[in-house]
Amino acid sequence: MATTATVQQTKWWTGGKSPFNMEYGKLMMWYFLMSDAFTFGAFLISYGSIRFSQNFWPDPSVVFNAFPGAGHANLPLAFVSVMTFILIISSVTMVLAVHAGHNNDKQGVVKWLFWTIVGGAAFLGCQAWEWHHLITGEHAVLVNGQLDIVGQTTRINPWGRLAAQADIATAIQNTPREMLIRLAEMGGHEHAGTAHTNFASLPNAELIKAIDVEGLHIRENGPVAFGGYFFGITGFHGFHVFSGVIINIIMLLMTQKDVFARRGHYLMIEKAGLYWHFVDLVWVFVFLCFYLI
Amino acid sequence: MSETTTVHIADAKHATTHHEEHGHHQQSFISKYIFSMDHKTIGKQFLITGIVWAVIGGLFSVIFRLQLGYPDTTFPILETFFGKWAKGGQIQPEFYYSLVTMHGTILVFFVLTAGLSGTFANILIPLQIGARDMASPFLNMLSYWFFFIAGIVMASSIFVQTGPASSGWTMYPPLSALRQAGDGQKIGTDLWLISMALFIISSLLGGLNYITTILNMRTKGMSMTRLPLPIWAMFFTAVLGVLSFPVLLSGAILLLFDRNLGTSFYLSDIVINGEILPNEGGSAILYQHLFWFLGHPEVYIILLPAMGMVSEILSVNSRKPIFGYMAMLGSLFAIAILAFLVWAHHMFVAGLNPFLGSVFVLLTLLIAVPSAIKVFNWLTTIWRGNIRFTPAALFAIGFVSLFISGGLTGIFLGNSTIDIHLHDTMFVVAHFHIVMGVASMFGMLAGVYHWFPKMYGRYLNNTLGYIHFWVTIVGAYLTFWPMHYQGLAGVPRRYLDKSGWVNFNQFGELDKFITVVSMIVFVAQFIFIINFFYSIYKGRKVRTANPWGANTLEWTTPINPGHGNWEGDIPEVHRWPYDYGKDGREFIPQTEPVGASESKH
Amino acid sequence: MQHPAFEEVTIHHHTDDATFKKKVKNTTILLSVITVVELIIGLTIYNIHKGEAPNELLVLMFKGMVCILTLAKAYYIVSVFMHLGDEIRNVIMTIVVPLLLFIWFITAFIWDGNSYKNLRNKYDAHYKETSVTPAKH
Repeated sequence: MATTATVQQTKWWTGGKSPFNMEYGKLMMWYFLMSDAFTFGAFLISYGSIRFSQNFWPDPSVVFNAFPGAGHANLPLAFVSVMTFILIISSVTMVLAVHAGHNNDKQGVVKWLFWTIVGGAAFLGCQAWEWHHLITGEHAVLVNGQLDIVGQTTRINPWGRLAAQADIATAIQNTPREMLIRLAEMGGHEHAGTAHTNFASLPNAELIKAIDVEGLHIRENGPVAFGGYFFGITGFHGFHVFSGVIINIIMLLMTQKDVFARRGHYLMIEKAGLYWHFVDLVWVFVFLCFYLI
Repeated sequence: MSETTTVHIADAKHATTHHEEHGHHQQSFISKYIFSMDHKTIGKQFLITGIVWAVIGGLFSVIFRLQLGYPDTTFPILETFFGKWAKGGQIQPEFYYSLVTMHGTILVFFVLTAGLSGTFANILIPLQIGARDMASPFLNMLSYWFFFIAGIVMASSIFVQTGPASSGWTMYPPLSALRQAGDGQKIGTDLWLISMALFIISSLLGGLNYITTILNMRTKGMSMTRLPLPIWAMFFTAVLGVLSFPVLLSGAILLLFDRNLGTSFYLSDIVINGEILPNEGGSAILYQHLFWFLGHPEVYIILLPAMGMVSEILSVNSRKPIFGYMAMLGSLFAIAILAFLVWAHHMFVAGLNPFLGSVFVLLTLLIAVPSAIKVFNWLTTIWRGNIRFTPAALFAIGFVSLFISGGLTGIFLGNSTIDIHLHDTMFVVAHFHIVMGVASMFGMLAGVYHWFPKMYGRYLNNTLGYIHFWVTIVGAYLTFWPMHYQGLAGVPRRYLDKSGWVNFNQFGELDKFITVVSMIVFVAQFIFIINFFYSIYKGRKVRTANPWGANTLEWTTPINPGHGNWEGDIPEVHRWPYDYGKDGREFIPQTEPVGASESKH
Repeated sequence: MQHPAFEEVTIHHHTDDATFKKKVKNTTILLSVITVVELIIGLTIYNIHKGEAPNELLVLMFKGMVCILTLAKAYYIVSVFMHLGDEIRNVIMTIVVPLLLFIWFITAFIWDGNSYKNLRNKYDAHYKETSVTPAKH
């Protein structure tokens, strides 16, 4: 049968066949992804709605500027670009796995699925590091007329406006001594001693002088929703990556056990692939909404 | 010739797989009735579960109607059953709110979503499009069991110490987001949210199945424009569900975070019981947006299946082709699209931007166009028809009547300026109960009366059906019609005792009247329930394969279709499903080839 | 030519390996290039923000550019990696058309979010005082 001729003449909607030339499972997967797109869409759009309802929103390049092993170096967007590339590459390996499946090439499927799983796991690892870094990070903020050291959690956001010098000068007087010691340890003036200075032994007035107010970039509290949405949406995305990795592992095991070879087709790999690409697709938008704009 | 052979082989292959999977029809009780993968059994499971929930939800409404009708009377029996929630035989405020919340949730989601489209999509889709079963029987089974678990979780919330959720079925924050707000906002709300999440999974699994089955599994010749209207309606219902329920899921997840993780998505500037909460920057209106992005399509998820079935039943029982088949399709499509564009008309006075509101007014009023098309088409379908007033036909006509009366008040409420006066009054209650609640219930009952012979191979008792119909339609109007007057006079909904207001006092007697009628209607439903369960076992047996003289494919199956629906080949379809009273013939089934001299429709 | 396992699938087509590999390679390069451009824009925005009196219009333009680039990325992922481009027109339409709902979905939500801000600034003096003063980075 001449394939091209059929394509032009086929009456797709007459019944007795799929009008999309697609088996039901793949069709279902597509519509499931549509549905999931609305879940993510709703998250991102409500994030947009809240963001538009704020007078101030933190600059992502200020928030996401750390890199594992780079200490306090200011490297905006560096780490997230690594994460993005990991996900793009794992998407490519998935395409190759699906293609190998089309050719009934078991070894190819196993090989590329394996690399996809590695990519997924690496991405999850990166995300875990980033979350950990944000939550345990120490940032000096001016809150309720006092100075405080906080991380980025769902309840507090340390990325508000830079505090005015006059406010800091007042607040520093009201700050408890233990906090002053910690602030001094975070960034003390070089001339007040070396990094090993025992700040605890200094009297309050000395201690206040020892604090590097400029270097600490003391900010006010930022919009709390920033953290909520960041952790909520990247968490939900991470959950999708995680389940994608699980699915891929199952696919890998099934391939190795020749389940698909016996079935005569690797269509399950194709469906898993669709899911995996969708996860990548969502990341593209998460990347846009949280890191770029 | 070669074509038919191929089909035959394919069918035979299909049949053998079924035999292999199910051990030559020697199924155990569990695989046949409990974890069944047969679409007909799953449909019946949805229906019976829906009936159980309808009784529970209806009972709740009777209890709070007692409070509304007789705010000063005590009913010691209530204390016997509900203990501290009805101390001294008086409904306590917290309990009252729990009752309305549960009534709304149960009826909207469990009865009119799962019980309606779950039942009839499952039973009708494969039978009417000519398929052996759903595309994925396994996911179909999961869909029911997720629904069942969602129900269990919801039911369990009734039995926790602090009681079920009580923030209204819309679960608006900040009330629903704060545990300190009251008993119903404690564990009950968490259970509500979890139950909803499970329900959304169930509806997603079902919806994906319905869509793919309708698209992929149609028999030969069953083009999309030869589909019976119920199938089109179920199709759009499923599309609405698949695209809008996930948005509710997002909203619910954010609400769970606000409740449990201290986030501020919906919360800002709140003082509760003298305590200043740290939450800052959230927007309660955001939740309403997310909720109604589902909530409005949900209204059509409830209504469309009823519309589809009513179209079919009216055409069959008028012995006339449906008037304007393509217009019916077009209006279903238009309604499905508009359903996604109008959600904020539920929020006109919630703090929505008034200019944005005016766009929503425009879009909302557009819905009147397809709705009117549908109404005129139903009326012209039965116009001069040779109507057989079976109970199903009566319920279908009742549906049309209710849809008209309820739809007209929708035009009032769709105008943001009039809504300033009418919002949150009994007028709203009257509107949505008539147009969405009772109308869809009528569609569902029409469907049950019409397809009961297909489901169980027996008839429902007609006399009981007639009594059921007349009591229900008269009662429904008597219950909800007076609420319009209350609402126009400003009587608010959700108040458990209005006797403190002089201007609402005048409605005391009317409230008593409504309460009495609603109790009668509730009791009348047991006529149906008894009829239903009695007839499953003892009803008059169906002797002919096509008792209603209908054209659609489900009546070409055996009286009690087995697994796989058709013995032998699936019939091929040659015409649309509405050739009634054509060329001197009463009806021409879809399976009959078009004759050479046949007139065009 | 029916599919071996699914009778509803009537035809299926194979692309030869070389064409396919080339297509995947080109798409990968394209996606990477777009991402790099996006990062450059992101850093540009950062640098504009750092300076005194950032040009808001310029920032907005750059942000718009990133959005368009992201849509381009999404297009390539869906069309090449997910093979939607290889499917027949029917499929493409049923996937793409419902996504148009997002237009109104996004517009209305953002519109109302913005209106919420304006309402608060108008009626909540304290809120405005504590959050409106120009930001310094």
